[in-house]
Amino acid sequence: MTTVELRGLHRRFGDVVALEHLDLSIASGEFISMLGPSGCGKTTALRIVAGFEWPDSGEVLIDGRNVIDLPANRRNMGMVFQAYSLFPNMTAQKNVEFGMRIRGQSGDKRAKRARELLELVGLGAAMDRYPRQLSGGQQQRVALARSLAIEPGVLLLDEPLSALDAKVRVQLRDEVRRIQLQLGITTLYVTHDQEEALSVSDRVAVMSNGRVEQIGTPAEIYGHPKTAFVAAFVGTMNQLEATVVSASDKTVSCMGFNMTVHESRFDYAVGDTLKVFVRPENLRVQPLANGDVPAAGSFAGRTTSFTFLGPVTRVGLNTDLGSMIADVSSALALNLTPGAPVAIELLPGSVHTLTD
Amino acid sequence: MATLTGTLEDASATTGRAGAGRIRRRRKRLPLWHLLWLVVGALYFFVPIYSLVQFSMEGGAHGLAWFHWYRYIFDQPEFRTTFWLSIQISLETVAVGVVLMVPTVFWVHLRLPRFRPAMELIAVLPFVVPPIVLIVGIIAFLHPLTWLIGRPEVLALIYVVFALPFLFRSLDAGMRAIDLKTLTEAAESLGASTFRTLVTVILPNLRAAIIGGALLTVAIAMGEYTVASLLGFNTFPIYIYQTGEALAYPAAALSVISFLLTWGAMLALFLLGGRSRTAAQPVLAK
Repeated sequence: MTTVELRGLHRRFGDVVALEHLDLSIASGEFISMLGPSGCGKTTALRIVAGFEWPDSGEVLIDGRNVIDLPANRRNMGMVFQAYSLFPNMTAQKNVEFGMRIRGQSGDKRAKRARELLELVGLGAAMDRYPRQLSGGQQQRVALARSLAIEPGVLLLDEPLSALDAKVRVQLRDEVRRIQLQLGITTLYVTHDQEEALSVSDRVAVMSNGRVEQIGTPAEIYGHPKTAFVAAFVGTMNQLEATVVSASDKTVSCMGFNMTVHESRFDYAVGDTLKVFVRPENLRVQPLANGDVPAAGSFAGRTTSFTFLGPVTRVGLNTDLGSMIADVSSALALNLTPGAPVAIELLPGSVHTLTD
Repeated sequence: MATLTGTLEDASATTGRAGAGRIRRRRKRLPLWHLLWLVVGALYFFVPIYSLVQFSMEGGAHGLAWFHWYRYIFDQPEFRTTFWLSIQISLETVAVGVVLMVPTVFWVHLRLPRFRPAMELIAVLPFVVPPIVLIVGIIAFLHPLTWLIGRPEVLALIYVVFALPFLFRSLDAGMRAIDLKTLTEAAESLGASTFRTLVTVILPNLRAAIIGGALLTVAIAMGEYTVASLLGFNTFPIYIYQTGEALAYPAAALSVISFLLTWGAMLALFLLGGRSRTAAQPVLAK
């Protein structure tokens, strides 16, 4: 089992700082995703770990040993690339055997292991096919099998699913996770797709401008974003500006509507202004008869737009607190009329603030 | 004031494939004047060749066999020696050129992409600099290496320069057609050294590009006259010229043989290029 530690990785490209003293620890057998928009430095960090790029300063420790001076071919890390990377002149089996051949393993052993791995990724029947005879998803499966064949200490995945279509992407990401859990291999996964990162990782490191904005379990990242960037990047958030009414009760007010902030830490005094966040799925929207006043604990608004997303419908609202969006179950959304008045209630424990 | 933040999930994730359209293409008739230009163009190329072939077979009109002059040529010991010398020089040129250029182009693509424009410039120099200037320069350069000047290998070294544009273009196109960076990094991550990556991963995928460049190199080396003449070597093109000075019919037959050789090489290139679908298509620059 292998641990990975990035210590103070710093990398500049001209005037652009790609990585700013990045620190990250990955426990043995852990699956960590680096999530962020393009240009945030996530791929640079991964490529430094792989040995394809070098930092201006900083260390990469594998099991406590600094490998920064080791060339990529001596780091024993499995890597799956964003672009299709199978060797076009070799069959799936020969591709998987490549790393073992370099390690001087015997033909029988190689063939047996290649078969096992291709079966593991569900391609036992495609051993003799050339890359051009495989679909994109199949090619990435073979690439995964190939990277596992060298029994790497660390598995690196650089947006391996981004070239695939939606359905295959979901299927394959679940398989990557299943295989990772089965083998217990330490994994660093780079993606810009939040759903991907949240669904497969033990922990997610959200990155921006070469720094880790927040690292935590998917539930922590989604439920308790620490910075405005994380709040904006992961999922969708309604952002409200509020004033503290009571510090002990953590009660804030926005346009006269009182809400309780659900946060264990609350370092604000009465009269402070702060930003609070509510996820669209935590808004309950109900039709309101014309002229009626919303019940206590809810506020009034009007629907402005409807976007059908399948199980839920995203409803745009013009409310007393400002414009907001709510995700309403599509069956319930049928009760709402465009432009009609509605009463909006915030689910208990759904109001958060930034803790950093 | 309340604001909205966040990213909206991409709801249009399914990739619809445009149905195989049943658009009927109306067959356009070729306008008459297009056809006329086509015929004029074809005549421009084929009439001289036809005349040459016909002239080379004039033996029939003189009461000799149709292929008399061909047989005459093949019976000349000079034909055999010069032909084999040119073949030998061609193969040496290919060997030196490929060994020199494959790693160079690979390295430039992979590690020094900024130097590609410079490389391209160098590669067209043999086109821009008149051959005679090149030769004078090369002779001056080779002057201290007197032991080399008398050997036919010197021609191979010079022809490598002439073949540079073709080899470079062919290899450049071949390397651009594959994802060189990803393939190399994939091989390295699996433990392969750069040399092993080049030999086991990159070279097999450049087969068509290398064959293409090599055949064009052979065509150049088999047909080069000026340098061979100035350096006093008796190569195949020199033999064609000398035969032409004294004997018109055999010279025509020789030219046809030379043509067939070039066409044979081109056909081989076409077939080999078409056969490997994964590898890059070579560039036929000439």
